[in-house]
Amino acid sequence: MKGRAVKLWVAHKAGSPVFCSVAWGQGGQHVVTASAGDLAILIHDAAAVAAAAGAGGRSSGSAGAAVVSTIRLHKDGVTALAVAPGSGASLASGSIDHSVKFYSFPDGVFQSNVVRFTLPIRSLAFNKKGTLLAAAGDDDGIKLIATIDNTISKVLKGHKGSVTGLSFDPRNEYLASIDTFGTVIFWDLCTGTEARALSRIAPTFGSDHSINNVLCWSPDGQFLAVPGLRNNVVMYDRDTGEMVFTLKGEHEQPVCSLCWSPNGGYLVTAGLDKQVLIWDVKSKQDIERQKFDERICSLAWKPEGNAVALIDVTGKFGIWESVVPSTMKSPTDGVPDLNSTKVPLFDDEDDEKPSTSGGLEDDGDESLGESAPFNHKRLRKSTYHDHPNGDSEDEDLMLQMESRKRTKDTHRDNKGVADKARDDSATSGRLVTARLQAAFQPGSTQPQPGKRNFLAYNMLGSITTIQNEGHSHVEVDFHDTGRGPRIPSMTDYFGFTMAAMNESGSVFANPCKGDKNMSTLMYRPFSSWAGNSEWSMRFEGEEVKAVAVGAGWVAAVTSLNFLRVFTDGGLQMHILSVSGPVVTAAGHGDQLAIVSHASDCLSSGDQVLDVKVLKISEGAQSLSSRLVLTPTSQLSWFGFSENGQLSSFDSKGILRIFSGQFGGSWIPVFSSIKARKSEDESHWVVGLDANNIFCILCKSPESYPQVMPKPVLTILEQSFPLASSDLGANSLENEFMMRKLQLSQIQNKIEEMAALGLDTTAIDDEAFNMEAALDRCILRLISSCCNGDKLVRATELAKLLTLEKSIKGAMMLVTRLKLPILQEKFSSILEERMLSNTRIARTAVFSNTTNTMYSPALVTPEVPPAKLVQKSGNSLKLPTLPKLNPATQQGSPSESNKTEVEQANNLIEITPKVSPVQTPLAEIAKNSDKVGGKAKKDRDGASNATTVDHNSKGGFDQVALKNKSVEDCSGVQSQRPVNPFAKLPSSKEQSSSLFDSIKKMKVENEKVDKAKSKKMSVLFSCPMEDDNVVEDGLVAEALGFGNAADLMVLNASLASSSYISRVAELQEGAAEPELGRDQDFLHVTAHCASVDASELIQTRFIDMARRRRWYGSRTYTMLQAMQLRCFKNRGSD
Amino acid sequence: MAGQSDPHLSIFSPSEVEFVAEDEIVEIVPNIRMEALNMICGDFGPFFPQIASKVPLWLAVALKKRGKCTIRTPDWMTVDRLTQVLDAERESPKEFQPLPFHYIEISKLLFDHARDDISDAYLVRSLIEDIRDVRFHKVETGLETISGRTHAVKLKNLSAMEVNIIRPFMVRTLQAFYKHDSPQMIQQAYNIGSRPTPVTDRGPRRDLRRR
Repeated sequence: MKGRAVKLWVAHKAGSPVFCSVAWGQGGQHVVTASAGDLAILIHDAAAVAAAAGAGGRSSGSAGAAVVSTIRLHKDGVTALAVAPGSGASLASGSIDHSVKFYSFPDGVFQSNVVRFTLPIRSLAFNKKGTLLAAAGDDDGIKLIATIDNTISKVLKGHKGSVTGLSFDPRNEYLASIDTFGTVIFWDLCTGTEARALSRIAPTFGSDHSINNVLCWSPDGQFLAVPGLRNNVVMYDRDTGEMVFTLKGEHEQPVCSLCWSPNGGYLVTAGLDKQVLIWDVKSKQDIERQKFDERICSLAWKPEGNAVALIDVTGKFGIWESVVPSTMKSPTDGVPDLNSTKVPLFDDEDDEKPSTSGGLEDDGDESLGESAPFNHKRLRKSTYHDHPNGDSEDEDLMLQMESRKRTKDTHRDNKGVADKARDDSATSGRLVTARLQAAFQPGSTQPQPGKRNFLAYNMLGSITTIQNEGHSHVEVDFHDTGRGPRIPSMTDYFGFTMAAMNESGSVFANPCKGDKNMSTLMYRPFSSWAGNSEWSMRFEGEEVKAVAVGAGWVAAVTSLNFLRVFTDGGLQMHILSVSGPVVTAAGHGDQLAIVSHASDCLSSGDQVLDVKVLKISEGAQSLSSRLVLTPTSQLSWFGFSENGQLSSFDSKGILRIFSGQFGGSWIPVFSSIKARKSEDESHWVVGLDANNIFCILCKSPESYPQVMPKPVLTILEQSFPLASSDLGANSLENEFMMRKLQLSQIQNKIEEMAALGLDTTAIDDEAFNMEAALDRCILRLISSCCNGDKLVRATELAKLLTLEKSIKGAMMLVTRLKLPILQEKFSSILEERMLSNTRIARTAVFSNTTNTMYSPALVTPEVPPAKLVQKSGNSLKLPTLPKLNPATQQGSPSESNKTEVEQANNLIEITPKVSPVQTPLAEIAKNSDKVGGKAKKDRDGASNATTVDHNSKGGFDQVALKNKSVEDCSGVQSQRPVNPFAKLPSSKEQSSSLFDSIKKMKVENEKVDKAKSKKMSVLFSCPMEDDNVVEDGLVAEALGFGNAADLMVLNASLASSSYISRVAELQEGAAEPELGRDQDFLHVTAHCASVDASELIQTRFIDMARRRRWYGSRTYTMLQAMQLRCFKNRGSD
Repeated sequence: MAGQSDPHLSIFSPSEVEFVAEDEIVEIVPNIRMEALNMICGDFGPFFPQIASKVPLWLAVALKKRGKCTIRTPDWMTVDRLTQVLDAERESPKEFQPLPFHYIEISKLLFDHARDDISDAYLVRSLIEDIRDVRFHKVETGLETISGRTHAVKLKNLSAMEVNIIRPFMVRTLQAFYKHDSPQMIQQAYNIGSRPTPVTDRGPRRDLRRR
């Protein structure tokens, strides 16, 4: 050891101890020295220095011979040196004269003044590639300078004392800095923000500028070596900033300088005790020691060599050759290769898996044994980089690590991991735990450096955030700029990663980051009568995982599986425990839905999720069920539809809504894969309403939208994943199912409301509309079934019709299509329907009168007549019925004024009387109407035989019926020969006049009861496509729904498909009772004329106009003019 | 162009052509909720924020001026498509590429009123100007070939503005040629043979464009 004493040469003369610095040039051929007490920077030839040292001479000798060049440009002492790595090497120096200068290297020609400070520079550092220079000193900011154009790219402020040590992370993610108080700050280079700060972990040197606190990253970037408070060196983890291990040994005073060997296996430290120690980092032992006369204040390990340059406070420098004994591993072996890629982050857990594949490592590894896990770790990593597509074990591990690491990332990231993992067949069992989905906020996107991302996006608006120098800017925007309040943007010092919003306010939360940054929940109402009504909650030892906001409440689910519910004023209302780790939460009005993990993934890789819906104001749980996902998929969106249906969207692109059907089940209503137009499209669901899904289309590789440009919502129709049927009417079938679903939803709602005793009239109307729409759809399906010769299916469909009018319509349809078998079937369906109605009506009556004894007796005799009718065939029997009716009805008026019980008795009398002579069902139906007050049926029936005048009376009757005056009703009704079947099965010739009469009937009714017929017009209001026009026309005609205006619309559409003669018929029908506005009439006429200008039609219209007494009127003139034009047109042809 | 110098022969002024072009349908993304608008030309809407809907250009511009919507750039107005079109225009000296009939007017209106909605507006603008120049050059060179023997000129995919500019000139030229050449043409027909010449009977046909 003595023989290997390092000889020092005087480079800089200094009277008192000052800080001197030393650095190696790239390649290790030159050594640069500088002193705070000297203006000169000296560049020495390393070989010459070594040779001179070898030649002997005292340590106080001059090294002038070895000096290659001297730079004297600074006006004051030089305090910092840095040599840029890379080919175009340059030298940077910082001085007490406040400036930083660049020189070419090694010739030392001045290049530029880089930057000026207001106070002395203390430290300089280049990053690994030499693209960035960090400079700092007594000023309060660290300046990051882009070397390419000498611009200051960032100023990092945060240190309280002067910064004396800087070190770039070799992976270029962090910059570490240390100040004279011993505080270390990790700066995130991407954002320029403080990643973490470690306060006073290194010795404090105060204002003594001859000692600089330093720090140094290990060459693989895994550790940061910092002088410790106990004369030791402490290693801190790059990601967590936690202390990993310490090097404690022979230093009797604090360490003041340190440097890593190129491979990170060794560390050289200099202490205030004038000792320099070499450490074997693996064994955490010092292996070499030298004592010097003066304090060594700067050290530099030779790049790619086994030598250390050092300089003491008096300006004497030397090179310590072969510092690591040759018996040990060379300090240059296994230099980590960090240039290739960005290094994925690893936790310490991967230590247990030493790699079996070959790497860069030589056999020195074996000689050192397996004592130190650190060694393996680094080794494994380096092999991983060499073999990025290495064995599956490694990859699995990485996936595992990654997913564990990024628990705070959104689901999409994890989805990718899970997908990859699933593809890897060998891994299914092992990755189970890794696939548990992390918590996410519906409608959020992943943060991207330098870009805005969504914290929340829903149908109402969006919340976006962007990271910006240590804090974030959060903006809340409403889609509807006309209505939503304008929300000022907010500066966010918490780093919110979760948010939710509704009409009244927004809630934010951040995860906890270390001890300092506790998880915080913050609520901002959009408008409030009170001044400062935003509030925040802090959670100690607990982390918010998901937030939701509803009407008057805010909910947060935390890492302790607590559900915390606050009022919007900030009162802590409830704290509940949730059954498992939360996945997500959503609020809608009073309802809060929480999705949580019920257990580990199944061995197939499927997640087991539970969903709970709570009613906050009532403190009740309205639903607790399993959340259904497509196998091996993850939940990617969750929320309520516009009308409050619980819905979920998974990573396989299936959207489900929860329905009360079958005791509560999830119904798939949309498949992204079926709906997308091309392979690379994906849907990012935002919301849905009863019929449509609102989503943002994303083109791969992006799976989520960017904030700019503003995403545009796409509307997609909900569609069931139907099997392709032989009917070839998939869209109709889909519509049928959809309407059925909607109807059941509405009916549920009505039941709920009725149970609460609320007024349901508004919803009743809606339900009626739904029924009408469903019937219309079924009728179309029936027609396509008939065309496809699926008669059984058509019959089944007919049974599903709700409105009796629709059944009759269906009969019309099959009559037109010449399917007598179906006609018969349908009529029997109608009969059954009426029968059952009768039964219900009767039992109702009887239960009212509490005379239940009759009910069994009544039910039985009714069946045979119905059957008889079916057998005999209506077409023969029915025309005779109107004649029968008066006879039977003569009896009824006399009895009608009596009590209900008497009526019932009467009925019993009638039934046996009539059945032997095959009384048709209509009779019973009529009677039942009398009893039950079912007005609708009567209306239909009456239309056939009676005149218009009669009907208007009938209309009044219905009003009366509505008022529940049973006596009145039956009295008048008895005068009407009512039989709904009278003409239904009639032959084709009859049908047109029948339609007319039905139609007239309807219109008359409409006059009386406008509201009712409005509902019926729903059938018409649906858009009529060309190919469906005839069908619709038939249906509509058959049903005779609608008012005059609707009729005109129908006419117009018929006209456009050149059914002119039919139109003329209808027009005539309308003309007679003077229906519709003149304009409508004229419009249709004009339309017809333009389509088909046959004389016949023209004349017919003129005739009609005459009948409408338009003589001399303006309309008539116009009509004539039109006719004239038509004739002219024809003439010109 | 020569035709423009004579105001009587120009049937539409450019602003009139622009007016006609305002009926073209474009897609907008409203940022307000609004009931359906019942216009003479049809019903538009209802409008929902952030959901695209189709309206005529004049309505889009009117809404845009009030800050109620953003106009979505039509497909053909993207840099990619325009570059393709420009290349194709340059490659085929005889043909015109299919572009919207009112492409000049639409792009002008969009540049005037919805510049911020067009990505790479500057590039798009210069591309459209280039295309216009190339096409017009083609038209001019095409017109040079008109001679006394020309009975018809067939120009496919010519846009409204282009047609409008060359129409007066074309018509007048053909008329002039017809006037001067018709005796000669009849003579020629005799020379060729006994074939009846319906061409001369009908005179020059003017099927400039099917529209």
